[in-house]
Amino acid sequence: MLIEFKNVSVERDGRSVLRRVHLSLTQRRIGVLGPNGSGKSTFIRLLNGLLLPQEGQVLVQGLDTRKEVSRIRSKIGFVFQNPDNQIVFPVVSEDIDFGLKRREPNPKVRADLARQALEQVGVPHLAERLVHTLSGGERQLVALAAVLAVQPEILVFDEPTTQLDLSLRNRFEQLLQGLPQPAIVVSHDLELLRGMERVLVLRDGLVVLDAPPNDAIAWYVEHCA
Amino acid sequence: MGSLFLPGDSWLHRLPGGLKLGLLAMLGGALMWVHDWRLLMLALAVVSTLLWQTGLSVAMLWSRVRGLFWLLLALMLYTLVVQSAEHAIALGLRVTTLLLAALVVSVSTSISQLMTVVLWLLQPLERLGWVDTQRVALAFGLTLRLIPELSLQWHDIREAQAARGLSANPLTMAVPMLLRTIRRAQEIAEAIDARG
Repeated sequence: MLIEFKNVSVERDGRSVLRRVHLSLTQRRIGVLGPNGSGKSTFIRLLNGLLLPQEGQVLVQGLDTRKEVSRIRSKIGFVFQNPDNQIVFPVVSEDIDFGLKRREPNPKVRADLARQALEQVGVPHLAERLVHTLSGGERQLVALAAVLAVQPEILVFDEPTTQLDLSLRNRFEQLLQGLPQPAIVVSHDLELLRGMERVLVLRDGLVVLDAPPNDAIAWYVEHCA
Repeated sequence: MGSLFLPGDSWLHRLPGGLKLGLLAMLGGALMWVHDWRLLMLALAVVSTLLWQTGLSVAMLWSRVRGLFWLLLALMLYTLVVQSAEHAIALGLRVTTLLLAALVVSVSTSISQLMTVVLWLLQPLERLGWVDTQRVALAFGLTLRLIPELSLQWHDIREAQAARGLSANPLTMAVPMLLRTIRRAQEIAEAIDARG
């Protein structure tokens, strides 16, 4: 993975939410930590062009988010905090199929990819279930399967464990470790972040620390708790 | 309240959505010309059998039609008073048959199938360059998907206000409903964008 932030600043509603971020992301597992309102969500939305910087440049594998947003989105799989917003169709298999349509014209191949993705996250039995009958944790896994089905090169997770009970959270952690793609994870789950290679701590729109997980978490607990 | 669609593999599920919608429209037109209660009973029996074939249980059926049942009863009572018992029975049979036939289509037709129908219907307009059919079909599918969600949202807001001791006031309901709907629409649009 190579993502570069070049002096990136973002303002929203006249307020500076991200300031002069300048860094390269090359590790396989990167965590993002920070208090509410620190700019974490803004930071990850810059990765696939959901937000564009007022100043600076974000490059994903050399592609500028301002110019190549479509190509970048086909490379980055984004798992949102609330799976209800991500799941568009009422039946699980139908929703995964929706994401695959632009990439794969053959319905049988799409069905195979959907099945494989559901198996990968351990919920193949949910394929024909109605989404509104699933628990919050199951929906989160289905949302992840929908993202994995399109075989993205990079994964981005926004608070992936907030809706999961302890058992599902542990399952998610194992799953994350086994995924071949590089991943960027925004989370308040400190134990989950301990498994990262590098953690960025954001506060008031600034990257105030960029360190190995144990150092970053210790600093966060001391200064932001 | 959830989606009307019931996942399944019955022969009705496998029929093309366009054919089902076409037959429903034809049935609706034909029933307007039928006044003999015996023919209407026959139509109701056929439609009930089709509904049973979709795999819908009686409990699921009741959860989907109970709101309309009371409305139908009121209509029949009104017809009984202003016309006759014969008219009221014919009206009841006709509307029930149509309602169940629409349910057969809703229960056995997924949003993807309905979107395919919309795409097919809009093809001539796309050829003229007037509409982007993919966008219209997606908007149509999302609208259908979100109707039950809005109902749940309404229920949540009502419950939260009742917990605070507030009575059901349309204005106090409308404002949070509108704000939540707009925010939800923005979040869904963002998620669809992210999916490419």
